[in-house]
Amino acid sequence: MAERGSVAPPILMASPDGPWLRVRESVAFFGNAVVYANWQQWRSAVASGPELRSLLGNHDWQRFSALDKPEVRYRFAVSRMLMRHAASAALQVLPEAVELAYKPGGRPYLRGCDQIDVSLSHTLDLVVVGLNRLGRIGVDTELTRRRLRYSEVHRQMCTAAERRRLARLPESAQEAELLRTWTLKEAYTKALGQGMRMGFTQFGFGPGGRELQTPDGDAASYGEWSFGTFGLDLTGGPAPDDHYLVSIACQDTGHGGAEDTSVGSMLDEGFLGQVVDLLGRQEG
Amino acid sequence: MSEATTEAEAGVRRRIAEVERALGDPDDAANPVGFAALLSADERFEWPAEAERRLDAVGFGAEFVPAALGGRLARADVLARTLRPVFRRDVALGFGYGITSLFAASAVWAAGSRGQRTRLAELMRGGGRTAIVHHGLAHGNTMWRGELAARPDDHGFTLDGRKDDVVNAERARAFVVYARTGEERGAASHSVLLLEDNGTVRHRPRLLPRRLSTGMRGCRFAGLEFTDCRVPADALVGERGQGLELALRTFQLNRSLISSVLLGSADTVLRAAVRAAETDRERRPGGRRPAVLASAFADLLLCDAMATAVLRSLHLFPDSGHLGAAAVKYLVPDLVREDLEELGTVLGAAGYRRDGAQGAQGFLQKLLRDLPAAGLGHTGTAACQAVLVPQLPFLARRSWGVTQDPPDLLFAAQEPLSPFVWESLAVAGGQDHLVAALLGAVRRLRDGGGAPAGHGDDATRAALRTIAGTFVTELAELRERFRVVEPDGRGLGTSARWAALTDRYVLVAAAGAALGHWVRLDGTDPFLADPAWLVLALGRLAGRLGKRLPDPPPGCVQRVYGEAVARFRTGRAYDLHGAAPAGPGATAAGPGATADGHGRRGRTA
Repeated sequence: MAERGSVAPPILMASPDGPWLRVRESVAFFGNAVVYANWQQWRSAVASGPELRSLLGNHDWQRFSALDKPEVRYRFAVSRMLMRHAASAALQVLPEAVELAYKPGGRPYLRGCDQIDVSLSHTLDLVVVGLNRLGRIGVDTELTRRRLRYSEVHRQMCTAAERRRLARLPESAQEAELLRTWTLKEAYTKALGQGMRMGFTQFGFGPGGRELQTPDGDAASYGEWSFGTFGLDLTGGPAPDDHYLVSIACQDTGHGGAEDTSVGSMLDEGFLGQVVDLLGRQEG
Repeated sequence: MSEATTEAEAGVRRRIAEVERALGDPDDAANPVGFAALLSADERFEWPAEAERRLDAVGFGAEFVPAALGGRLARADVLARTLRPVFRRDVALGFGYGITSLFAASAVWAAGSRGQRTRLAELMRGGGRTAIVHHGLAHGNTMWRGELAARPDDHGFTLDGRKDDVVNAERARAFVVYARTGEERGAASHSVLLLEDNGTVRHRPRLLPRRLSTGMRGCRFAGLEFTDCRVPADALVGERGQGLELALRTFQLNRSLISSVLLGSADTVLRAAVRAAETDRERRPGGRRPAVLASAFADLLLCDAMATAVLRSLHLFPDSGHLGAAAVKYLVPDLVREDLEELGTVLGAAGYRRDGAQGAQGFLQKLLRDLPAAGLGHTGTAACQAVLVPQLPFLARRSWGVTQDPPDLLFAAQEPLSPFVWESLAVAGGQDHLVAALLGAVRRLRDGGGAPAGHGDDATRAALRTIAGTFVTELAELRERFRVVEPDGRGLGTSARWAALTDRYVLVAAAGAALGHWVRLDGTDPFLADPAWLVLALGRLAGRLGKRLPDPPPGCVQRVYGEAVARFRTGRAYDLHGAAPAGPGATAAGPGATADGHGRRGRTA
């Protein structure tokens, strides 16, 4: 049974109708939630004109407008809608009240609402969003049919310890393990806001993709990081037979975090009362 | 600089050097309180007792006691600088040794009776610890969840309740307790009690087992359970119902201090990353590493400019210090955390080392664990938002564009100040001096003012004017948004929009502090007078506002990186003072390293 701090299994959102309550429950219970959608199925829900502009906000609207291909535009719009809906469920505010912003390295964040960290990934028809109230989160997706040849990439992608482990495996198992390792590395470096800028041979994963390790195979964290990899299938869309892999890196910084992540309760009534009373007196 | 200033600054540096000497060369693997030893203690959840003994030997406890009570605490900015040698070695040591004792004692310094002050001062001067038992706070983590109730009765108060995660619970000789004394919610619900170890407390609290923590692993966190604990009436600090006001008042110093001392911790990681880049330079030249290192260095300077101005504002503008303190605490821990994550790309595998054999490289992962515990994460930001959100509509109407450019003394980091006075701090109202500094600096830049010309090139100065202008534009947008709000504060808390606008405001305030600092420089330090670092740092802040700016002019990165390398080689701090910690082995210089080697290349002035 999964427990607090461990990575929660991804939840399918077939449409903007949800089930968003499950996001709140997952964030409250596990500390994190991962949701996914087939953006083709959300297509009809993408608004146009001023309504979409207001939902996307200025920054993302400009990025959206600069995109040429309709496919890419729809996928971009749906990914941001999924993010806003998921965030709004955890924060208990309207989706358009959330401001999605980007740090200098490109990591998305919810401006002014740091009770939730977020991450975003997409591949073909799949869009995935991760939320975490206990620390950083990174998500990454790939098609399971994506071929990665060990002999071609191991020098850039694997640590010495990983090579020792992978080299012994038969080819199909080797490729599957390589794909999992790759998506885990993407997820972890996205959680750190660095992406590919962090060298993939500088850290590794142990057997089963559960433990962060040094290149020599020693433990590299004290359990503050949890990892998970899940296989996802999508129905509908032009390629219903595609299978996806999603890897998630989730941090728990300790000290329990706040179980309540809603915006409505985050300003302490006592402090707010003091400040407002004093301001009122000065006004009066 | 006047003789008095020179003398005061020399005194500050002597004390810092004394602390540095007491703790010895952190890079020395044989030093029992060096990085290797501290990392290993952290691994075992062990308190660095030897480091504590050495700090005791130089009377470090006196740093947290007001000068008027026989201690050394007179200036908030100087206290922060004196704490940095501790924080650059170990955040847990910094918190566990004394800073949490200060957080506790502050309420007594602010409102305690003469007897309470005298007794607590004596205890802390002698190296005794005071623990703080916080009240429950909205969105609180385990340190801020749950609280005690104090029932007034004939003999004083009866305390009941349980609090988890009290630092130094096991060994504190005094407790400052924020307890609920009123049924009502809101302003007058809590009071502060000082529990002393003098036989006046009956049915003492039960100590719960130590809880091992993810961050600050060496610190001893344990719970306290109060059952029918009888406290005399004169344990009350200040007046009944004054608890939240005292929290808001004393938090101003805590918030500014934490922001400032964490820069000392970040210094260690930047130093390790520069060392890694320099050692590796022969093998893998160039790449993006100079840009990463220069950006982190520039961020630290900007944060130091903001923290220093805010710490000094507590002396100069005690009616307004609450604004800057909330802003700096909101921004700095977050910015530092991101810089550390970025520096991780330079350190690579070395950042995960635990043996300390590579000097401080393994310090990165430790600091990434310690930081959320020190900055309190969301609990901390939400508490700062509670101060800022209701006040911004007032400031937009009354202060922005109206308040005068602050005096030079606010930014003159070496100038003496009159002693810090807790009683004078207000918890709401006042003026926005950081926004005033932004507008003042932009005026000076437009009129050709600023640090003396001759440092940096024309392109960099032009870039600085452009970036400064974007923050003024942002301020104008914020003013429009906040002016339309009915400033009764009530509905504000429930909207994510106001939280987002407050986030934007903090970035503007930070730009104001950094620009205010820079335009007042006299050119004594040619590196700081060159706006290259400021262009890099402000460009990153503007990026956080979603503004797209042209790349910094060519040479900016190289000049800032050059200084980072030069400071590494000469062992000088990555802060506004750039001083070398005196004492044995204080410089990181290896054979053949000189101050003007690779580091000064690319300097235009």
